[in-house]
Amino acid sequence: MSNPAITYNEDVVRKFVIAGMFWAVVAFLVGVYIAAELAWPEANLGLSFVNFGRLRPVHTSAAIFAFGGSVLIGTSFYVVQRTCRARLFGGEALADFVFWGYQFFIVMAALSYVMGFSQGQEYAEPEWHLDVWLTVVWVAYAVIFVGTLLKREEPHIYVANWFYLAFILTIAVLHVVNNAAIPISMYSAKSYAVYAGVQSALIQWWYGHNAVGFFLTAGFLGMMYYFIPKQADRPIYSYRLSVVHFWSLVFMYIWAGPHHLHYTSLPDWTQTLGMVFSLMLWMPSWGGMINGLMTLSGAWDKLRTDPALRFSVTAVGFYGMSTFEGPVLSIRDVNALAHYTDWIVGHVHSGTLGWNAFISFGAIYYLVPVLWQRSGLYSTRLVAWHYWISTLGIVLYISSMWVAGIMQGLMWRAYDAFGFLQYSFAESVNAVHPYYVIRWMGGVMFFVGALIMVYNLVMTVRSSSTSRAAPDYPAGAIAAGE
Amino acid sequence: MEDDLSGFIVGVMVALLGLVGLVMASGAYDNAIFIFGLSLAGFAVLFDIGLIRRHFDRRSGGPHV
Repeated sequence: MSNPAITYNEDVVRKFVIAGMFWAVVAFLVGVYIAAELAWPEANLGLSFVNFGRLRPVHTSAAIFAFGGSVLIGTSFYVVQRTCRARLFGGEALADFVFWGYQFFIVMAALSYVMGFSQGQEYAEPEWHLDVWLTVVWVAYAVIFVGTLLKREEPHIYVANWFYLAFILTIAVLHVVNNAAIPISMYSAKSYAVYAGVQSALIQWWYGHNAVGFFLTAGFLGMMYYFIPKQADRPIYSYRLSVVHFWSLVFMYIWAGPHHLHYTSLPDWTQTLGMVFSLMLWMPSWGGMINGLMTLSGAWDKLRTDPALRFSVTAVGFYGMSTFEGPVLSIRDVNALAHYTDWIVGHVHSGTLGWNAFISFGAIYYLVPVLWQRSGLYSTRLVAWHYWISTLGIVLYISSMWVAGIMQGLMWRAYDAFGFLQYSFAESVNAVHPYYVIRWMGGVMFFVGALIMVYNLVMTVRSSSTSRAAPDYPAGAIAAGE
Repeated sequence: MEDDLSGFIVGVMVALLGLVGLVMASGAYDNAIFIFGLSLAGFAVLFDIGLIRRHFDRRSGGPHV
Protein backbone atom coordinates (compact mmCIF):
# COMPACT_ATOMS: atom_id res chain seq x y z
CA MET A 1 0.00 0.00 0.00
CA SER A 2 2.46 2.62 -1.18
CA ASN A 3 -0.28 5.07 -2.14
CA PRO A 4 -3.22 4.86 0.28
CA ALA A 5 -5.22 7.90 -0.93
CA ILE A 6 -5.27 8.01 -4.71
CA THR A 7 -7.54 10.65 -6.21
CA TYR A 8 -9.10 9.41 -9.41
CA ASN A 9 -9.75 11.64 -12.41
CA GLU A 10 -13.54 11.39 -12.49
CA ASP A 11 -14.05 14.75 -14.16
CA VAL A 12 -13.27 13.30 -17.59
CA VAL A 13 -15.53 10.30 -16.92
CA ARG A 14 -18.41 12.65 -16.10
CA LYS A 15 -17.81 14.55 -19.32
CA PHE A 16 -17.89 11.36 -21.39
CA VAL A 17 -21.10 10.22 -19.67
CA ILE A 18 -22.80 13.54 -20.48
CA ALA A 19 -21.51 13.41 -24.07
CA GLY A 20 -22.66 9.81 -24.42
CA MET A 21 -26.18 10.74 -23.37
CA PHE A 22 -26.25 13.73 -25.69
CA TRP A 23 -25.08 11.71 -28.70
CA ALA A 24 -27.48 8.88 -27.88
CA VAL A 25 -30.39 11.29 -28.26
CA VAL A 26 -28.91 12.72 -31.48
CA ALA A 27 -28.25 9.26 -32.95
CA PHE A 28 -31.73 7.95 -32.14
CA LEU A 29 -33.40 11.14 -33.42
CA VAL A 30 -31.55 11.00 -36.74
CA GLY A 31 -32.32 7.27 -36.96
CA VAL A 32 -36.01 7.94 -36.49
CA TYR A 33 -35.89 10.66 -39.13
CA ILE A 34 -34.17 8.55 -41.79
CA ALA A 35 -36.51 5.64 -40.98
CA ALA A 36 -39.34 8.07 -41.74
CA GLU A 37 -37.62 8.99 -45.01
CA LEU A 38 -37.60 5.33 -46.02
CA ALA A 39 -41.30 4.95 -45.21
CA TRP A 40 -42.35 8.34 -46.56
CA PRO A 41 -39.77 9.65 -49.07
CA GLU A 42 -41.40 13.11 -49.02
CA ALA A 43 -39.66 13.56 -45.66
CA ASN A 44 -36.53 14.35 -47.68
CA LEU A 45 -38.07 17.83 -48.08
CA GLY A 46 -36.12 18.15 -51.31
CA LEU A 47 -33.03 19.25 -49.37
CA SER A 48 -29.71 17.65 -50.29
CA PHE A 49 -28.26 17.88 -46.80
CA VAL A 50 -31.08 15.91 -45.17
CA ASN A 51 -31.40 13.18 -47.78
CA PHE A 52 -30.97 9.56 -46.71
CA GLY A 53 -27.52 9.13 -48.27
CA ARG A 54 -26.04 11.97 -46.20
CA LEU A 55 -27.92 11.42 -42.95
CA ARG A 56 -27.38 7.66 -42.81
CA PRO A 57 -23.67 7.98 -41.95
CA VAL A 58 -24.61 10.72 -39.48
CA HIS A 59 -26.90 8.20 -37.76
CA THR A 60 -24.40 5.31 -37.78
CA SER A 61 -21.46 7.46 -36.72
CA ALA A 62 -23.48 9.16 -34.00
CA ALA A 63 -24.69 5.81 -32.69
CA ILE A 64 -21.43 3.84 -32.91
CA PHE A 65 -18.64 6.34 -32.55
CA ALA A 66 -20.30 9.25 -30.74
CA PHE A 67 -22.66 7.47 -28.31
CA GLY A 68 -20.87 4.12 -28.15
CA GLY A 69 -17.38 5.63 -28.31
CA SER A 70 -18.05 8.20 -25.60
CA VAL A 71 -19.50 5.58 -23.27
CA LEU A 72 -16.64 3.19 -24.02
CA ILE A 73 -13.87 5.70 -23.45
CA GLY A 74 -15.57 7.12 -20.36
CA THR A 75 -16.18 3.72 -18.76
CA SER A 76 -12.69 2.52 -19.67
CA PHE A 77 -11.21 5.51 -17.82
CA TYR A 78 -13.43 4.72 -14.84
CA VAL A 79 -12.72 0.99 -14.81
CA VAL A 80 -8.97 1.18 -15.38
CA GLN A 81 -8.53 3.60 -12.48
CA ARG A 82 -10.66 1.59 -10.09
CA THR A 83 -9.23 -1.82 -10.94
CA CYS A 84 -5.60 -0.64 -11.10
CA ARG A 85 -5.97 1.70 -8.12
CA ALA A 86 -4.11 4.35 -10.07
CA ARG A 87 -4.99 7.83 -11.33
CA LEU A 88 -5.09 8.24 -15.11
CA PHE A 89 -1.64 8.51 -16.63
CA GLY A 90 -0.73 11.76 -18.39
CA GLY A 91 -2.50 14.27 -16.19
CA GLU A 92 -5.77 16.13 -16.64
CA ALA A 93 -4.69 17.92 -19.80
CA LEU A 94 -4.13 14.75 -21.81
CA ALA A 95 -7.44 13.26 -20.64
CA ASP A 96 -9.21 16.49 -21.54
CA PHE A 97 -7.52 16.47 -24.94
CA VAL A 98 -8.92 12.98 -25.57
CA PHE A 99 -12.39 14.14 -24.56
CA TRP A 100 -12.53 17.40 -26.50
CA GLY A 101 -10.51 16.04 -29.43
CA TYR A 102 -12.91 13.11 -29.79
CA GLN A 103 -15.96 15.39 -29.66
CA PHE A 104 -14.32 17.68 -32.23
CA PHE A 105 -13.83 14.68 -34.53
CA ILE A 106 -17.49 13.69 -34.21
CA VAL A 107 -18.80 17.18 -34.96
CA MET A 108 -16.46 17.67 -37.92
CA ALA A 109 -17.31 14.24 -39.34
CA ALA A 110 -21.06 14.83 -39.06
CA LEU A 111 -20.68 18.26 -40.67
CA SER A 112 -18.69 16.80 -43.55
CA TYR A 113 -21.32 14.10 -44.18
CA VAL A 114 -24.19 16.59 -44.48
CA MET A 115 -22.00 18.71 -46.78
CA GLY A 116 -21.62 15.66 -49.03
CA PHE A 117 -18.02 14.63 -48.26
CA SER A 118 -17.42 10.91 -47.78
CA GLN A 119 -14.88 8.23 -48.61
CA GLY A 120 -17.82 5.99 -49.46
CA GLN A 121 -16.64 3.23 -47.11
CA GLU A 122 -19.20 2.02 -44.60
CA TYR A 123 -18.36 3.00 -41.00
CA ALA A 124 -15.19 4.66 -42.38
CA GLU A 125 -16.79 7.61 -44.16
CA PRO A 126 -14.61 10.47 -42.85
CA GLU A 127 -12.09 11.84 -45.34
CA TRP A 128 -8.34 11.70 -44.77
CA HIS A 129 -7.91 14.87 -42.68
CA LEU A 130 -10.45 13.63 -40.13
CA ASP A 131 -8.83 10.18 -40.12
CA VAL A 132 -5.49 11.78 -39.26
CA TRP A 133 -7.07 13.82 -36.48
CA LEU A 134 -8.76 10.74 -35.01
CA THR A 135 -5.44 8.90 -35.11
CA VAL A 136 -3.82 11.65 -33.01
CA VAL A 137 -6.65 11.51 -30.47
CA TRP A 138 -6.65 7.71 -30.39
CA VAL A 139 -2.90 7.54 -29.76
CA ALA A 140 -3.37 9.92 -26.84
CA TYR A 141 -6.16 7.66 -25.54
CA ALA A 142 -3.93 4.57 -25.84
CA VAL A 143 -1.09 6.36 -24.04
CA ILE A 144 -3.38 7.18 -21.11
CA PHE A 145 -4.83 3.68 -20.86
CA VAL A 146 -1.58 1.76 -21.24
CA GLY A 147 0.25 4.25 -19.01
CA THR A 148 -2.35 3.73 -16.28
CA LEU A 149 -2.00 -0.04 -16.57
CA LEU A 150 1.76 0.28 -16.27
CA LYS A 151 1.65 2.36 -13.10
CA ARG A 152 -1.06 0.24 -11.43
CA GLU A 153 -0.95 -0.51 -7.71
CA GLU A 154 -2.75 -3.83 -8.20
CA PRO A 155 -0.52 -6.69 -9.36
CA HIS A 156 -3.29 -8.28 -11.46
CA ILE A 157 -4.80 -6.75 -14.58
CA TYR A 158 -8.54 -7.33 -14.27
CA VAL A 159 -10.12 -9.00 -17.32
CA ALA A 160 -12.29 -5.99 -18.20
CA ASN A 161 -9.07 -4.09 -18.94
CA TRP A 162 -7.93 -6.83 -21.32
CA PHE A 163 -11.11 -6.35 -23.35
CA TYR A 164 -10.71 -2.55 -23.30
CA LEU A 165 -7.07 -2.88 -24.36
CA ALA A 166 -7.99 -5.19 -27.26
CA PHE A 167 -10.58 -2.60 -28.31
CA ILE A 168 -8.08 0.27 -28.20
CA LEU A 169 -5.18 -1.46 -29.96
CA THR A 170 -7.18 -3.28 -32.62
CA ILE A 171 -9.26 -0.24 -33.54
CA ALA A 172 -6.02 1.72 -33.96
CA VAL A 173 -4.64 -0.87 -36.41
CA LEU A 174 -7.94 -1.23 -38.28
CA HIS A 175 -8.40 2.51 -38.61
CA VAL A 176 -4.89 3.20 -39.89
CA VAL A 177 -4.79 0.31 -42.37
CA ASN A 178 -8.29 0.71 -43.78
CA ASN A 179 -7.97 4.47 -44.19
CA ALA A 180 -4.59 4.40 -45.92
CA ALA A 181 -5.15 6.92 -48.70
CA ILE A 182 -3.31 9.52 -50.75
CA PRO A 183 -4.88 12.98 -50.67
CA ILE A 184 -4.82 14.90 -53.95
CA SER A 185 -3.55 17.87 -51.92
CA MET A 186 -3.09 18.95 -48.34
CA TYR A 187 -5.70 21.60 -49.13
CA SER A 188 -8.37 19.22 -50.46
CA ALA A 189 -10.59 16.74 -48.67
CA LYS A 190 -10.50 14.40 -51.65
CA SER A 191 -8.23 11.37 -51.44
CA TYR A 192 -7.75 8.03 -53.15
CA ALA A 193 -7.45 4.74 -51.26
CA VAL A 194 -4.16 2.91 -51.72
CA TYR A 195 -6.10 -0.32 -52.35
CA ALA A 196 -8.11 -1.12 -55.45
CA GLY A 197 -10.66 -3.66 -56.60
CA VAL A 198 -11.27 -6.74 -54.52
CA GLN A 199 -8.33 -5.97 -52.23
CA SER A 200 -10.06 -2.71 -51.33
CA ALA A 201 -13.28 -4.60 -50.61
CA LEU A 202 -11.49 -7.17 -48.46
CA ILE A 203 -9.63 -4.53 -46.43
CA GLN A 204 -12.87 -2.60 -45.99
CA TRP A 205 -14.74 -5.62 -44.60
CA TRP A 206 -11.78 -6.78 -42.56
CA TYR A 207 -12.13 -3.33 -41.01
CA GLY A 208 -15.94 -3.27 -41.03
CA HIS A 209 -16.49 -6.59 -39.33
CA ASN A 210 -13.77 -5.99 -36.78
CA ALA A 211 -15.28 -2.61 -36.00
CA VAL A 212 -18.20 -4.80 -34.90
CA GLY A 213 -15.87 -7.28 -33.23
CA PHE A 214 -13.60 -4.93 -31.37
CA PHE A 215 -15.54 -1.68 -31.04
CA LEU A 216 -19.05 -3.02 -30.53
CA THR A 217 -18.11 -6.33 -28.89
CA ALA A 218 -14.74 -6.35 -27.11
CA GLY A 219 -15.09 -2.86 -25.63
CA PHE A 220 -18.64 -3.46 -24.44
CA LEU A 221 -17.62 -6.83 -22.99
CA GLY A 222 -15.16 -4.86 -20.88
CA MET A 223 -18.17 -2.95 -19.57
CA MET A 224 -20.06 -6.20 -18.98
CA TYR A 225 -17.23 -7.74 -16.98
CA TYR A 226 -17.01 -4.75 -14.65
CA PHE A 227 -20.52 -3.40 -14.27
CA ILE A 228 -22.62 -6.58 -14.04
CA PRO A 229 -20.63 -7.94 -11.08
CA LYS A 230 -20.83 -4.47 -9.51
CA GLN A 231 -24.59 -4.16 -10.02
CA ALA A 232 -25.28 -7.74 -8.93
CA ASP A 233 -22.78 -7.49 -6.07
CA ARG A 234 -21.42 -10.87 -7.12
CA PRO A 235 -18.05 -11.93 -8.55
CA ILE A 236 -17.83 -13.11 -12.14
CA TYR A 237 -19.26 -16.63 -12.46
CA SER A 238 -15.97 -17.99 -13.85
CA TYR A 239 -12.85 -15.88 -14.15
CA ARG A 240 -11.16 -18.72 -16.06
CA LEU A 241 -14.00 -18.71 -18.59
CA SER A 242 -13.60 -14.94 -19.01
CA VAL A 243 -9.94 -15.43 -19.94
CA VAL A 244 -10.83 -18.21 -22.40
CA HIS A 245 -13.58 -15.92 -23.72
CA PHE A 246 -11.05 -13.14 -24.29
CA TRP A 247 -8.36 -15.12 -26.13
CA SER A 248 -10.73 -17.15 -28.28
CA LEU A 249 -12.76 -14.05 -29.21
CA VAL A 250 -9.80 -11.93 -30.26
CA PHE A 251 -8.22 -14.80 -32.17
CA MET A 252 -11.32 -15.73 -34.15
CA TYR A 253 -13.01 -12.38 -34.78
CA ILE A 254 -10.18 -10.97 -36.84
CA TRP A 255 -10.72 -13.64 -39.56
CA ALA A 256 -14.48 -13.32 -39.99
CA GLY A 257 -14.66 -10.24 -42.26
CA PRO A 258 -14.82 -12.04 -45.65
CA HIS A 259 -18.34 -13.31 -44.88
CA HIS A 260 -19.49 -9.83 -45.98
CA LEU A 261 -18.26 -10.64 -49.49
CA HIS A 262 -20.01 -13.92 -50.33
CA TYR A 263 -20.73 -14.37 -54.04
CA THR A 264 -18.29 -11.62 -55.04
CA SER A 265 -14.99 -11.77 -56.95
CA LEU A 266 -13.20 -12.51 -53.69
CA PRO A 267 -11.56 -15.96 -53.97
CA ASP A 268 -13.89 -18.74 -52.91
CA TRP A 269 -11.55 -20.12 -50.25
CA THR A 270 -11.40 -16.69 -48.59
CA GLN A 271 -15.18 -16.51 -48.39
CA THR A 272 -15.24 -19.99 -46.86
CA LEU A 273 -12.55 -18.99 -44.37
CA GLY A 274 -14.66 -16.04 -43.23
CA MET A 275 -17.73 -18.26 -42.91
CA VAL A 276 -15.95 -20.96 -40.91
CA PHE A 277 -14.40 -18.52 -38.46
CA SER A 278 -17.79 -16.84 -38.05
CA LEU A 279 -19.32 -20.18 -37.13
CA MET A 280 -16.52 -20.91 -34.68
CA LEU A 281 -17.31 -17.58 -33.00
CA TRP A 282 -20.43 -19.18 -31.56
CA MET A 283 -18.29 -20.79 -28.87
CA PRO A 284 -16.57 -17.75 -27.33
CA SER A 285 -19.67 -15.61 -27.78
CA TRP A 286 -21.93 -18.01 -25.95
CA GLY A 287 -19.25 -18.76 -23.39
CA GLY A 288 -19.15 -15.05 -22.61
CA MET A 289 -22.92 -14.78 -22.53
CA ILE A 290 -23.19 -17.70 -20.12
CA ASN A 291 -20.49 -16.14 -17.95
CA GLY A 292 -22.37 -12.84 -17.84
CA LEU A 293 -25.74 -14.40 -17.08
CA MET A 294 -24.46 -16.91 -14.52
CA THR A 295 -22.88 -14.03 -12.60
CA LEU A 296 -26.45 -13.43 -11.48
CA SER A 297 -26.45 -16.81 -9.67
CA GLY A 298 -27.88 -16.20 -6.24
CA ALA A 299 -28.89 -12.67 -7.17
CA TRP A 300 -31.66 -13.17 -9.71
CA ASP A 301 -34.12 -11.56 -7.30
CA LYS A 302 -32.36 -8.23 -7.92
CA LEU A 303 -33.88 -8.14 -11.39
CA ARG A 304 -37.25 -7.50 -9.76
CA THR A 305 -36.05 -4.50 -7.79
CA ASP A 306 -33.23 -3.08 -9.92
CA PRO A 307 -34.37 -2.17 -13.44
CA ALA A 308 -30.88 -0.83 -14.24
CA LEU A 309 -29.49 -4.33 -13.70
CA ARG A 310 -32.34 -5.58 -15.89
CA PHE A 311 -30.90 -3.48 -18.71
CA SER A 312 -27.46 -5.06 -18.30
CA VAL A 313 -28.74 -8.62 -18.12
CA THR A 314 -31.12 -8.18 -21.06
CA ALA A 315 -28.17 -6.76 -22.98
CA VAL A 316 -26.26 -10.00 -22.41
CA GLY A 317 -29.30 -11.91 -23.69
CA PHE A 318 -29.33 -9.79 -26.83
CA TYR A 319 -25.57 -10.35 -27.14
CA GLY A 320 -26.24 -14.07 -27.18
CA MET A 321 -29.07 -13.76 -29.70
CA SER A 322 -27.27 -11.50 -32.14
CA THR A 323 -24.05 -13.52 -31.94
CA PHE A 324 -26.11 -16.59 -32.76
CA GLU A 325 -27.83 -14.90 -35.69
CA GLY A 326 -24.58 -13.46 -37.11
CA PRO A 327 -22.91 -16.82 -37.78
CA VAL A 328 -26.19 -18.15 -39.22
CA LEU A 329 -26.22 -15.22 -41.66
CA SER A 330 -22.58 -15.91 -42.58
CA ILE A 331 -23.47 -19.37 -43.93
CA ARG A 332 -23.28 -19.00 -47.69
CA ASP A 333 -26.71 -20.40 -48.48
CA VAL A 334 -28.42 -18.31 -45.81
CA ASN A 335 -26.47 -15.28 -46.99
CA ALA A 336 -27.79 -15.83 -50.52
CA LEU A 337 -31.25 -15.11 -49.18
CA ALA A 338 -30.43 -12.49 -46.56
CA HIS A 339 -27.70 -10.31 -48.06
CA TYR A 340 -28.76 -6.81 -49.19
CA THR A 341 -32.13 -7.27 -47.47
CA ASP A 342 -33.56 -5.67 -44.35
CA TRP A 343 -32.88 -8.86 -42.39
CA ILE A 344 -29.30 -7.56 -42.07
CA VAL A 345 -30.60 -4.21 -40.81
CA GLY A 346 -32.69 -6.03 -38.21
CA HIS A 347 -29.70 -8.16 -37.18
CA VAL A 348 -27.48 -5.12 -36.75
CA HIS A 349 -30.08 -3.35 -34.65
CA SER A 350 -30.69 -6.34 -32.38
CA GLY A 351 -26.98 -6.04 -31.61
CA THR A 352 -26.65 -2.28 -31.38
CA LEU A 353 -29.93 -1.51 -29.60
CA GLY A 354 -30.28 -4.68 -27.56
CA TRP A 355 -26.63 -5.29 -26.69
CA ASN A 356 -24.62 -2.06 -27.04
CA ALA A 357 -27.24 0.48 -26.01
CA PHE A 358 -28.72 -1.63 -23.20
CA ILE A 359 -25.35 -2.49 -21.62
CA SER A 360 -24.50 1.23 -21.87
CA PHE A 361 -27.78 2.25 -20.23
CA GLY A 362 -27.14 -0.24 -17.41
CA ALA A 363 -23.63 1.12 -16.86
CA ILE A 364 -24.77 4.74 -16.97
CA TYR A 365 -27.60 4.16 -14.50
CA TYR A 366 -24.95 2.67 -12.19
CA LEU A 367 -22.38 5.40 -12.82
CA VAL A 368 -24.37 8.63 -12.53
CA PRO A 369 -25.21 8.38 -8.82
CA VAL A 370 -21.60 7.32 -8.10
CA LEU A 371 -19.95 10.05 -10.18
CA TRP A 372 -22.20 12.84 -8.94
CA GLN A 373 -22.20 11.46 -5.40
CA ARG A 374 -25.94 10.99 -5.11
CA SER A 375 -27.76 8.56 -2.87
CA GLY A 376 -29.38 6.79 -5.82
CA LEU A 377 -31.37 7.33 -8.98
CA TYR A 378 -34.18 9.89 -9.01
CA SER A 379 -36.78 7.32 -10.03
CA THR A 380 -36.47 3.55 -10.51
CA ARG A 381 -40.04 3.61 -11.85
CA LEU A 382 -38.83 5.77 -14.75
CA VAL A 383 -35.98 3.31 -15.34
CA ALA A 384 -38.58 0.55 -15.58
CA TRP A 385 -40.61 2.64 -18.06
CA HIS A 386 -37.45 3.21 -20.07
CA TYR A 387 -36.72 -0.51 -20.02
CA TRP A 388 -40.12 -1.69 -21.20
CA ILE A 389 -40.69 1.00 -23.83
CA SER A 390 -37.22 0.38 -25.28
CA THR A 391 -37.58 -3.39 -25.23
CA LEU A 392 -40.93 -3.17 -27.00
CA GLY A 393 -39.36 -0.78 -29.52
CA ILE A 394 -36.58 -3.27 -30.27
CA VAL A 395 -39.07 -6.11 -30.68
CA LEU A 396 -41.08 -4.05 -33.18
CA TYR A 397 -37.89 -3.06 -35.00
CA ILE A 398 -36.26 -6.44 -35.40
CA SER A 399 -39.40 -8.49 -36.03
CA SER A 400 -40.55 -6.10 -38.77
CA MET A 401 -37.12 -6.23 -40.38
CA TRP A 402 -37.04 -10.03 -40.24
CA VAL A 403 -40.36 -10.22 -42.09
CA ALA A 404 -39.41 -7.47 -44.56
CA GLY A 405 -35.96 -8.93 -45.21
CA ILE A 406 -37.05 -12.52 -45.77
CA MET A 407 -39.88 -11.30 -47.99
CA GLN A 408 -37.44 -9.17 -50.03
CA GLY A 409 -35.04 -12.09 -50.42
CA LEU A 410 -37.80 -14.42 -51.55
CA MET A 411 -39.27 -11.88 -53.98
CA TRP A 412 -35.88 -11.12 -55.55
CA ARG A 413 -35.16 -14.78 -56.24
CA ALA A 414 -38.66 -15.78 -57.46
CA TYR A 415 -38.94 -16.91 -61.09
CA ASP A 416 -42.09 -17.48 -63.11
CA ALA A 417 -42.82 -20.47 -65.34
CA PHE A 418 -40.93 -18.87 -68.22
CA GLY A 419 -37.76 -18.26 -66.24
CA PHE A 420 -38.29 -14.52 -65.86
CA LEU A 421 -38.03 -12.68 -62.55
CA GLN A 422 -41.51 -12.76 -61.03
CA TYR A 423 -41.30 -9.38 -59.30
CA SER A 424 -39.78 -6.05 -60.24
CA PHE A 425 -37.59 -4.36 -57.63
CA ALA A 426 -40.23 -1.63 -57.22
CA GLU A 427 -42.79 -4.27 -56.26
CA SER A 428 -40.52 -5.48 -53.45
CA VAL A 429 -40.14 -1.88 -52.24
CA ASN A 430 -43.90 -1.48 -52.21
CA ALA A 431 -44.35 -4.77 -50.34
CA VAL A 432 -42.12 -3.79 -47.41
CA HIS A 433 -43.75 -0.38 -46.83
CA PRO A 434 -45.92 -1.50 -43.87
CA TYR A 435 -42.85 -2.99 -42.17
CA TYR A 436 -40.92 0.25 -42.65
CA VAL A 437 -43.71 2.03 -40.81
CA ILE A 438 -43.55 -0.54 -37.98
CA ARG A 439 -39.76 -0.14 -37.85
CA TRP A 440 -40.19 3.63 -37.57
CA MET A 441 -42.63 3.15 -34.67
CA GLY A 442 -40.09 0.90 -32.93
CA GLY A 443 -37.44 3.58 -33.39
CA VAL A 444 -39.73 6.26 -31.98
CA MET A 445 -40.32 4.13 -28.88
CA PHE A 446 -36.59 3.61 -28.38
CA PHE A 447 -36.04 7.36 -28.78
CA VAL A 448 -38.77 8.19 -26.25
CA GLY A 449 -37.15 5.74 -23.82
CA ALA A 450 -33.85 7.59 -24.17
CA LEU A 451 -35.58 10.91 -23.42
CA ILE A 452 -37.05 9.38 -20.26
CA MET A 453 -33.55 8.28 -19.25
CA VAL A 454 -32.06 11.72 -19.84
CA TYR A 455 -34.80 13.34 -17.72
CA ASN A 456 -34.25 10.77 -14.97
CA LEU A 457 -30.49 11.30 -14.96
CA VAL A 458 -30.74 15.09 -14.98
CA MET A 459 -33.12 14.89 -12.03
CA THR A 460 -30.79 12.43 -10.31
CA VAL A 461 -28.05 15.05 -10.40
CA ARG A 462 -30.26 18.03 -9.60
CA SER A 463 -33.03 16.83 -7.32
CA SER A 464 -32.72 17.37 -3.59
CA SER A 465 -34.34 13.96 -3.07
CA THR A 466 -31.14 12.22 -4.19
CA SER A 467 -28.67 14.34 -2.25
CA ARG A 468 -26.54 12.73 0.42
CA ALA A 469 -24.25 13.97 3.15
CA ALA A 470 -21.28 15.94 1.84
CA PRO A 471 -18.20 13.77 1.42
CA ASP A 472 -15.18 14.41 3.62
CA TYR A 473 -12.79 14.62 0.68
CA PRO A 474 -12.35 17.37 -1.90
CA ALA A 475 -14.89 17.73 -4.72
CA GLY A 476 -14.01 15.52 -7.66
CA ALA A 477 -11.80 13.30 -5.59
CA ILE A 478 -12.66 9.78 -4.51
CA ALA A 479 -10.66 7.83 -2.02
CA ALA A 480 -9.03 4.67 -3.28
CA GLY A 481 -10.78 1.37 -2.79
CA GLU A 482 -14.21 2.92 -3.47
CA MET B 1 3.86 18.11 -11.16
CA GLU B 2 2.47 15.53 -13.59
CA ASP B 3 -0.48 17.83 -14.35
CA ASP B 4 1.79 20.84 -15.00
CA LEU B 5 4.08 18.89 -17.33
CA SER B 6 1.12 17.29 -19.09
CA GLY B 7 -0.55 20.68 -19.50
CA PHE B 8 2.59 22.15 -21.05
CA ILE B 9 3.21 19.31 -23.51
CA VAL B 10 -0.44 18.98 -24.54
CA GLY B 11 -0.81 22.75 -24.79
CA VAL B 12 2.15 23.08 -27.15
CA MET B 13 0.99 20.11 -29.23
CA VAL B 14 -2.53 21.53 -29.61
CA ALA B 15 -1.14 24.96 -30.48
CA LEU B 16 0.92 23.41 -33.29
CA LEU B 17 -2.09 21.50 -34.54
CA GLY B 18 -4.04 24.75 -34.52
CA LEU B 19 -1.36 26.35 -36.71
CA VAL B 20 -1.63 23.44 -39.13
CA GLY B 21 -5.36 24.13 -39.21
CA LEU B 22 -4.76 27.76 -40.13
CA VAL B 23 -2.37 26.76 -42.92
CA MET B 24 -4.92 24.27 -44.28
CA ALA B 25 -7.71 26.86 -44.19
CA SER B 26 -5.53 29.46 -45.90
CA GLY B 27 -5.06 27.35 -49.04
CA ALA B 28 -8.27 25.32 -48.97
CA TYR B 29 -9.66 24.10 -52.29
CA ASP B 30 -13.00 23.06 -50.79
CA ASN B 31 -15.39 23.91 -47.96
CA ALA B 32 -14.57 20.77 -46.00
CA ILE B 33 -10.92 21.72 -45.52
CA PHE B 34 -11.71 25.40 -45.03
CA ILE B 35 -14.20 24.70 -42.25
CA PHE B 36 -12.02 22.00 -40.71
CA GLY B 37 -8.91 24.19 -40.71
CA LEU B 38 -10.62 27.20 -39.14
CA SER B 39 -12.42 25.00 -36.61
CA LEU B 40 -9.17 23.31 -35.68
CA ALA B 41 -7.54 26.69 -35.06
CA GLY B 42 -10.54 27.74 -32.95
CA PHE B 43 -10.42 24.45 -31.07
CA ALA B 44 -6.74 24.98 -30.31
CA VAL B 45 -7.31 28.51 -29.00
CA LEU B 46 -10.21 27.50 -26.76
CA PHE B 47 -8.45 24.38 -25.49
CA ASP B 48 -5.28 26.25 -24.60
CA ILE B 49 -7.26 29.02 -22.91
CA GLY B 50 -8.89 26.28 -20.84
CA LEU B 51 -5.47 24.93 -19.86
CA ILE B 52 -4.22 28.39 -18.89
CA ARG B 53 -7.35 29.06 -16.86
CA ARG B 54 -6.98 25.76 -15.03
CA HIS B 55 -3.32 26.47 -14.30
CA PHE B 56 -4.14 29.79 -12.62
CA ASP B 57 -7.24 28.40 -10.92
CA ARG B 58 -5.04 25.73 -9.36
CA ARG B 59 -2.54 28.29 -8.17
CA SER B 60 -5.21 30.46 -6.61
CA GLY B 61 -7.20 27.58 -5.15
CA GLY B 62 -10.03 28.00 -7.67
CA PRO B 63 -12.70 25.57 -8.88
CA HIS B 64 -10.29 23.17 -10.62
CA VAL B 65 -8.25 22.40 -7.55
